[in-house]
Amino acid sequence: MTKFMKLAVLLATVALVASACSSDGDEETATTSASGGDGAAGTLLISGSSTVEPVSALNAEAFRALNPEIGITVEGPGTGDGFKKFCAGETDISDASRQIKDSEIEACEAAGIEFIELRFAVDGLSVLTSVANSAVSCLSFTDLYALLGPESLGFRSWADANALAGELEGTTAPYPDAELVVTAPGEESGTYDSFVEIVLEDTAEERGQDAVARPDYTASANDNVIIEGISGSDTSLGWVGYAFYLANEDKVAALEVDGGGGCVSPTPETIADGSYPIARPLFIYVNKAKAESNPALAGYVDFYLSEEGLANVDQAGYVRLDDYAPVREIWTSRTTGVQEY
Amino acid sequence: MSTSSTLNPRRATSEEVAKTIKRGGANWKPIAFQALLLILLSVSLLILIVLLADILVSAWPTFRDRGLSFITDGLSLNPETAGVWTAIVGSVIIAVVVAVLAFPVGIGAAIYLEEYAPNNSITRFVDTTVRNLAGVPSIVYGLLGLALFVPLVNIIGFGGATSGKNVVAAGITMAALVLPIVIITSAEAIRAVPNAIREAGYGVGATKWEVVKNHVMPVALPGVLTGTVLTLARAFGETAPLLVIGVATGFFAPAGDASFYDTLTGPYTALPVVVFSWTRQTQAEFAETLAPAAIVVLLVVLFILNGLAIWMRNRSDRKW
Repeated sequence: MTKFMKLAVLLATVALVASACSSDGDEETATTSASGGDGAAGTLLISGSSTVEPVSALNAEAFRALNPEIGITVEGPGTGDGFKKFCAGETDISDASRQIKDSEIEACEAAGIEFIELRFAVDGLSVLTSVANSAVSCLSFTDLYALLGPESLGFRSWADANALAGELEGTTAPYPDAELVVTAPGEESGTYDSFVEIVLEDTAEERGQDAVARPDYTASANDNVIIEGISGSDTSLGWVGYAFYLANEDKVAALEVDGGGGCVSPTPETIADGSYPIARPLFIYVNKAKAESNPALAGYVDFYLSEEGLANVDQAGYVRLDDYAPVREIWTSRTTGVQEY
Repeated sequence: MSTSSTLNPRRATSEEVAKTIKRGGANWKPIAFQALLLILLSVSLLILIVLLADILVSAWPTFRDRGLSFITDGLSLNPETAGVWTAIVGSVIIAVVVAVLAFPVGIGAAIYLEEYAPNNSITRFVDTTVRNLAGVPSIVYGLLGLALFVPLVNIIGFGGATSGKNVVAAGITMAALVLPIVIITSAEAIRAVPNAIREAGYGVGATKWEVVKNHVMPVALPGVLTGTVLTLARAFGETAPLLVIGVATGFFAPAGDASFYDTLTGPYTALPVVVFSWTRQTQAEFAETLAPAAIVVLLVVLFILNGLAIWMRNRSDRKW
């Protein structure tokens, strides 16, 4: 009996302490909101693309080490989710692995939020196969459409795509009669979107098909799982971000890709100069009003675009731009709106 | 010789009976069954051992190179400074919220269901519903938390800088997630108390309240405690609901002048989420050695919790 009572008393005490904390908390909010206005100064919230998240997180950590009084949070729910929060005024910076969409611009305009678009790096998408696959070394966009596009549903062998490839221009068919095992990112991924948009969309439109990849492949949201899947079969095919290929060069081989200008293999140079055809720009979108009122935000973006900050682009496995003068100019002049590249 | 029919009752001697028992044809079935069970046990143990060994071997470089700093450093995507401290703190706060909310409510509900509720269709409906709720996928509770508890946390003043997507909402969601399990395990423990104890209490003139307080609960307590502490382990290991309730995966650090309230209502992370996030990073160190090391930390915390459950059960165990 006594032990039961003790437990009850213990639980009651904990509950009491918790409620005491809550009343403390209310006072605290009152004081903060009185002094700080909307969005307490000295804190930064960065959300958006999970692809950009590592760069922003590494920069946040290094910047926080220099400015220990500043509170920073970096999260990566995805580019689309990031813009929803950004255009609702919840975040200071939105990470993005694609340019902002018109619908998102409208949402930001409706909320009166002006943004500064800063393109700071490029990410190549690598088309991968097993290191044991010597039969194929270069694929064109139409090859990829024949093997991975919406009409390839059900193809179990590379050779199954021969008939379809015959209807397309610029393919390298015939393909070897070998098992076709596809492992790639799932539809929820920005990497999937980029691949479909860059590689498959044009051919799909010409043929009156939906711009999607075949649905019957092994999909994973975890790029390391995709690497395992591709290395698990000798005649596999799939795609991931260049950084994941770079970290697993011993397990998987990158195919050269022909986007109309000849076969190009993904290297930092070809990705940076745009000759490798499947590359996507990485952006941060900065809330202009917050950058002007919050010195911590301005300082963080300054750091992001400094040599020290850009070193983290390499660390995360992405490719730096050739010239940062234009983007630095956009930032120093606080130029808002979408840029042309 | 195939069956015991060879034992003719008239001619069977003690030697023949002994012989049949020792190496009789009918005895292979129980032996084979026992062997099968042993093999099945070995297989499940072997899988566990291989898993543990694999994780320990992968995790070893982290503990060797980083030592204690791996435990004391916070969330980061830099393999050299990534640690689990903020994740441990987040997980422990979630566990405390679960203990404060789910245990009293769950145990109370179980006592009512077992001792007070009339045995009618409504009680049976509630009972079945609780059992079904225990089987609902955890992501559903995450969505419930996002729709219900995040606004609730804002209303009660714990919103903070994260507008309610913080460790308080996560803890309440986890409490809702384990509540059915707390109710079921507590109810089982109370049901296991022999009816004779209750009847003896009533026999000497005790009221219902006195019987429950002085006789049923002390006897049921070990089972109740074991069950409830084990649900804490469940709350520790869940990832999916937290991903919905804005758990941080990249980096976070509080402002220099942050109060206790700011920290509590600010961004948070938790151990299983850190494992999840690290296995999908580009840098090979994360998936290869840091994530296994975080798994080891998670396992150690779970072992401590389970050990605590056993200790509490043994302490409160009473014989009658």
